[in-house]
Amino acid sequence: MSTTILNRCIRMILLLVVQLVVMNHIHLLGYGTPIVIGCLTMKFHRNASRTGLLLWGFATGLLYDIFSNTMGMGMASCTLLAMLQPALLHLYMPRDAADDLRPSMHSMGRVRYLTYALTTLLLFHITFYALDAFTIANWQLTLLGIGIGTAIAFIFAWLVDLMTNPKAVGE
Amino acid sequence: MRNLIDFLQRHSYWLVFLVLEVISLVSLFRFNHYQGSVFFTTANDAVGSIYQATSTVVSYFNLKEENVALEAENERLRQELLALKARQRAEESETEAVADSALLPYNLVGAQIVNATLHRSNNLLTINRGSADGIAPEMGVVCSRGVVGIVYLTSAHYSIVIPLLNTSSKVSCRLDSTNYFGTMQWRYGSPETSYVSGIPRHAKVKVGDIVETNGYSDIFPEGIPVGKVTKIGNSGDGLAYELTVRLFTDFATLRNVSVITDYRQPERHELEQYADSLINQSS
Repeated sequence: MSTTILNRCIRMILLLVVQLVVMNHIHLLGYGTPIVIGCLTMKFHRNASRTGLLLWGFATGLLYDIFSNTMGMGMASCTLLAMLQPALLHLYMPRDAADDLRPSMHSMGRVRYLTYALTTLLLFHITFYALDAFTIANWQLTLLGIGIGTAIAFIFAWLVDLMTNPKAVGE
Repeated sequence: MRNLIDFLQRHSYWLVFLVLEVISLVSLFRFNHYQGSVFFTTANDAVGSIYQATSTVVSYFNLKEENVALEAENERLRQELLALKARQRAEESETEAVADSALLPYNLVGAQIVNATLHRSNNLLTINRGSADGIAPEMGVVCSRGVVGIVYLTSAHYSIVIPLLNTSSKVSCRLDSTNYFGTMQWRYGSPETSYVSGIPRHAKVKVGDIVETNGYSDIFPEGIPVGKVTKIGNSGDGLAYELTVRLFTDFATLRNVSVITDYRQPERHELEQYADSLINQSS
C-alpha cells in the first residue's frame, strides 16, 4: 500500500516537473499548451477507490495550480477527470479485463488504450481551457488551444506508455 | 436505515467530489480576477432578477394600500377641481355682471354669428343682423363676457364684424384698478391672447388686473371687460409696458352677440371733427 502511494507520489512529481519545466513553455501557434498532469489520473487501475482517486486528482491539480498560477483551473479539471475516469475506463476496457486492470497499450490493446487516452485528455483539456477562457467570445481560439494541447498531451501519453511498456510496441 | 447508510457509504465519493469541486471553483473565482469578475457580475444579475421578481410579487400584495392612497388622492383632486370650477364660474358671472351693468343704459340688438374665422391674421365675423335692424358700420359688438369687435360693413340683413382677433383692430382700453390706458391690438397667434401697449412705465400694473374699455372712442362705452393681464413685458422702445392679456371672450365657442346701436354720439363726433378742421385751417 505504502509502496503504491510512494510510487504514485514519484509519478506525480515527475509529471509535475515535466509539466512545469517543459510543457508549460510550449505555446504552439501561440495558444496550444499541453497539460499532461491528467495522465496520472488516467493511469489509475480499475476498481480503485473512488474517494482516493478524487483526492489524488485534486492534489495533482492543486500542486499544478500553485506552481503555474492557475488557481482553481487544474484542481477543478483534475477532480472532474478523476470522477469520470472509472466510467471512461469501463467504456474502453476489454470485456475479460482483470479486476485490477491498469490502463496501458499492453493491457488494453493499442487502439482501445489510445482511444481511451484521447477521450480522457480531450475531456480534461476542454474543462481546463473552458475555465481558463471563461467566455465563448473567442471560441475559435479556445478550440485551437484544446485541439493542440490535446494532441501534444496525447503524443506524450503514447510515448510514455511505449517507454514504460516496451512489450506493446510490437502489437 | 442500514440500507440508507450503506447507500450513503457507497456513494460518499459524490459528496467528496462536490466538496472538492466547490473548493476548486471558489479558488478559481477568488484568485483569478477575470473569472471572478465574470462570475460575480453574472451572480449579481441573477440575484438582481430574483430581487426584481420578489419586489414585483410584494408590490402586488401592497396594491390594496396603493389603491386606498390613490382613491384619497383622487378625492382630493376632485375637490380641488370642483373648487376651481366654482371659482371660475364666480369669476365669469362677475365679468358678466360688470358687462351687463356697463351696457345697461344702451340699446342692444341681439345677433348670431353665422360665419367666423379664427386662424387667419385678419379674421372676420359675419352676424345675421344688418342695416334693416339698425346696424351701421363702426358700432361696437359685445357678448355677455365682454368686447367682441366692431361692425365693418353692413348689408340689409347681414353685417361683417372686425373682431379683436384681427391685426388691424385697435381698441382703446384701461386698467380698471388704476385707470391707466393703452391700446389693445392682436397679433397673429393664439385666439385667446391679445396685447395692450402704451401703458406708461410709472403705472402700477400687476398680473391679474382687469382690462376694460375706457370710453375714449365713440364705439364702446367705458367699463366693458376685455380681459385679464397674464404677463407684464416691455414695449420695443422700452418706454412703456406691453401687457399680455387673456381675453374674456372665447371666440372659439362664441355664438350670440349684441350690437350697441345708440352709443354713438353724433354731436360729439361732429364737434371733434369741427375742432380738427379749425386746427388744420389755422396751421
